Amino acid sequence: MTELAENPLVEGLELRRRPDPCAIVIFGVSGDLTARKLIPALYALAVRRLLPEQFGVVGVARSKETTEEFVARMGEAVREHARDEFREDVWAGLAAGMRYVATDVSRPGGEEPVVRALEELDAERGTAGNRLYYLAIPPSGIADVVEAMGKRRTNEGWTRIVVEKPFGHDLASARELHATMERHFTEGEVFRIDHYLGKETVQNMLALRFANGIFEPIWNRQFIDHVQITVGETIGIEGRASFYEGAGAIRDIFQNHLLQLVALTAMEPPIDFSADSVRNEKVKVLRGLRTPGPREVVRGQYGTGFVEGAEVPGYREEAGVAADSSTETFVAAKLAVDNWRWADTPFYVRAGKRLARRETTIAIQFKRAPHPLFGAQGAEGLRPNVLLIHVQPDEGISLAIGAKVPGQGMTIRSVHMDFLYGGAFRTGLPEAYERLILDAMLGDATLFTRIDEVEEQWSLVDSIVSAWARDRPGFPNYPAGTWGPPNADDLLHRDQRSWRRH
Amino acid sequence: MEWAGVDVSVAEVEQRLARLRMEAEEGGAAQRTSVMTHIAWVPEPWLPAALETLRGLAERHPSRTILLVPEPDAGVAAIDAELELERFPLGQSERSICSEIVLLRLRGARAHAPASIVTPLLISDLPVFCRWRGEPSFGSGAFEQLVGVVDRLVVDSEEWDDLPFAYTKLGPVLDRAAVSDIAWQRLLPWRGALARLWPGLAEASALRVAGPRADALLLAAWLRTRLGRDDLALAHEEAPALELVAVDGTAVDPPEAERPTPSDLLSNELDRFGRDPVYEQALRSF
Repeated sequence: MTELAENPLVEGLELRRRPDPCAIVIFGVSGDLTARKLIPALYALAVRRLLPEQFGVVGVARSKETTEEFVARMGEAVREHARDEFREDVWAGLAAGMRYVATDVSRPGGEEPVVRALEELDAERGTAGNRLYYLAIPPSGIADVVEAMGKRRTNEGWTRIVVEKPFGHDLASARELHATMERHFTEGEVFRIDHYLGKETVQNMLALRFANGIFEPIWNRQFIDHVQITVGETIGIEGRASFYEGAGAIRDIFQNHLLQLVALTAMEPPIDFSADSVRNEKVKVLRGLRTPGPREVVRGQYGTGFVEGAEVPGYREEAGVAADSSTETFVAAKLAVDNWRWADTPFYVRAGKRLARRETTIAIQFKRAPHPLFGAQGAEGLRPNVLLIHVQPDEGISLAIGAKVPGQGMTIRSVHMDFLYGGAFRTGLPEAYERLILDAMLGDATLFTRIDEVEEQWSLVDSIVSAWARDRPGFPNYPAGTWGPPNADDLLHRDQRSWRRH
Repeated sequence: MEWAGVDVSVAEVEQRLARLRMEAEEGGAAQRTSVMTHIAWVPEPWLPAALETLRGLAERHPSRTILLVPEPDAGVAAIDAELELERFPLGQSERSICSEIVLLRLRGARAHAPASIVTPLLISDLPVFCRWRGEPSFGSGAFEQLVGVVDRLVVDSEEWDDLPFAYTKLGPVLDRAAVSDIAWQRLLPWRGALARLWPGLAEASALRVAGPRADALLLAAWLRTRLGRDDLALAHEEAPALELVAVDGTAVDPPEAERPTPSDLLSNELDRFGRDPVYEQALRSF
């Protein structure tokens, strides 16, 4: 670094930081995530020359497969899922550093073939002992991998470990898992991934708030009536019954994605954009989060219904789901952020499967104009101003404002001003995993979740789930293709408010 | 969607643009999303190249592009206009965005006052870029006026003949607007390759460059100013593209980067909003 700082020729070159030579080891490589997201993300990074020249990929899973078969299967995955056109030369470069290891690391000595493959890559590809372990496995398997690979750590190069959410299934298990990791890895080496944080629109939330002088002065209880955050999916559980039955919407989405969106919306300005500054501010919000009471949290489970005109089965009819399952596929809550900025300003959040629309949005609803200048009739079509952040799909921001309808008289109605991300910036949005994998290789943890954030998230979830344990819900309680159970509407109606419908 | 008119007023151009936008809306939700006004000063011989560059550019930078084609020797003073609205679909949604292309032929005396023609057509509160094709007529009314209305002047000194003298004329423009030279951008991978030779480069005494003259001059100016070495000698061999850079007789490993297209190069400049003090220092050294 000293040499670079003294080099007068570097100034103005904007040299993109390339990661050190390294190998990425994907545990659970036979899963869907690898084929749909991870390998296409690595390919996109290779297309843009963002990977180090000395690079290798080790795929680890229990199923028998040769390296040749693995490479061929991943090549197909890239053709199907990558955002760039398939280029034989780029793929050949990436594939040359790929190895497949069939092993079970939970067995004694099961990590041995992984270590050998890595040593081979060090020798053949110059990966210099630097390791990025990517744990694309269910939470129950994490401790085994951490123990197995942790005890084989060497002093050569760096080691980082990427863990998929959810981190644990409650506060106690998260702490236990953290204790296991702590035996072998420091907090700075653990990258807890929440792919929502890698989305451009989520990062743009920080730009919107802190790069524009007009928003921050009104971003508080004085001007904002309430906030609504929706993470809606139209799909069902897509064959993930074994995971989903134990997790439900609260652990799958609410505990991580949803609470992170709340934290980014409510946080104070950080002093800079470093990993710890941003995460310090987020954790303060998470510490101040609470639900006003059990009545302010609603859970639901979808029954038979219609999605995009087609009849779909209820949750309990999905393969692998118990016929009397009480797993929630929908959760909605009224959250309070206990601090000076947000006192008495509720955050209504909801997440669910088989909802009416696929959308992830953050809606900032401002207070009404204080004086009804135009009379009740003239302002019938007028709604309070809403700043709507579309996280997905149609990434962008829209602002609903009141405007006069042309003609005689003074009739006001709401109109939308839209900023569409893809409209203004036509470069193609990078996939979240591209950004996050690259950041992990570079050691930048800004967009990853720190252990204290995870603990605060679980504390809130545990307090909700413990109340649920006391009674058995009357499931199913909403038809697929709708916006959830009726008592989710009541949650807002009690406060003389209503959910956004579109 | 297109419209063309002979001997038109600027107001008529604005009205026709608005009408084209309304027609675009009728054909499905179309949004005018602009990030800048992009002016291009394009003498007739440069027009095919400019249009080619634009073809690969419009979708990437939704904007109003105003191509000014000066025809000062035309017998009559008039503005002829060709307007085009391009729609680009937005991903898988039903919506699309519109970019506006305005080609104005400035005939006769109209070519002498371009600022008064483009100013009413600038999009409010967005940056204005001007790509000047060929060697600017430094000191002319047209050039001085346009520099006065733009935030950034974009040139490509590989298109210039009068080097290095023209650089001494460009330097003072820095006091009025930001300047980008596409030739400078082409050097980026080579500058990176040279930077990696530090600190071995600190005592270099001779630079040999096989490539366009602009590239050789800019590279030498950069090294001299960054290293504080006025005595660095330059030997230049003309070649259509930068092929060889050698320091004290040793060839520098060519950078890996692929050669960008003209659209890519201009696109990169249109993404740039700040100033480049390293370039400015090199330019002012001529």
